[in-house]
Amino acid sequence: MADTALTSLLAEDSIRLDCTAVDRFDAVRQCGAALVAAGAVDESYVDAMIQRENTVSTFVGEGVAIPHGTLAGKESVKRDALVVLRFPEGVDWEGNAVSVCVGIAAAGGGHIALLSQLAEILLDPAKAEQLRTATSAEQVYSLLTPSDDDDD
Amino acid sequence: MTTVDGSSIKKLIVACDAGMGSSVMLAGQLKKQLKKSGVVVEHSPVAHIPQDADLVVTQAGLADRAQGVVPDVPVVPFQLFLGDPKVAKIVKAIQDGTTVEV
Repeated sequence: MADTALTSLLAEDSIRLDCTAVDRFDAVRQCGAALVAAGAVDESYVDAMIQRENTVSTFVGEGVAIPHGTLAGKESVKRDALVVLRFPEGVDWEGNAVSVCVGIAAAGGGHIALLSQLAEILLDPAKAEQLRTATSAEQVYSLLTPSDDDDD
Repeated sequence: MTTVDGSSIKKLIVACDAGMGSSVMLAGQLKKQLKKSGVVVEHSPVAHIPQDADLVVTQAGLADRAQGVVPDVPVVPFQLFLGDPKVAKIVKAIQDGTTVEV
């Protein structure tokens, strides 16, 4: 089961596994809308996310992008939160196919452990595949729960 | 090309625009890899890179801005968030205390 630290950062309502988007900006806007719905950001943050995507892509490999705002956009962040949107049909991300977007709103550092865990997933092709093909929130939580072997 | 002397690096900064996404992810990885080397790894918005950094790694598109913030600190641009060959070379140089061209 997901622990409370994880669910307060990534609410079950914020895991949407059957999305479609016409292009990457549409996908980013949907991530932004999900962050607004989660009460994490003001509407203006969505524009900051688009601006950031225009400047530097947030594609991070393994079919995953991590849309987030700019430094200026941080003022629109009310609390640290993440959303996970899956696009089973894929979204063209400047020539890369993206099937999972992890939208980020962060004013503090509450999300650092979770992003480190995401990095672990992306470095493990089998786990990345599991994330790209996840069909339940439970699977997403299970993948993103930090492992205990950090001190090896 | 930038020459990096792994033995002189005590503070490595991973910079991105907002310091909330990509840099956080890479910094987490580097922290783990460099834990035994005693190197401080921090993530930072490009605009706020600390002046006492020994080395900055950042996305290629942000390298010029980063260099403008810390003119005297080597800035190494990377293309891939995870598994970038340049970043891997730097990690190895720090671990082994050797000098590399990246």
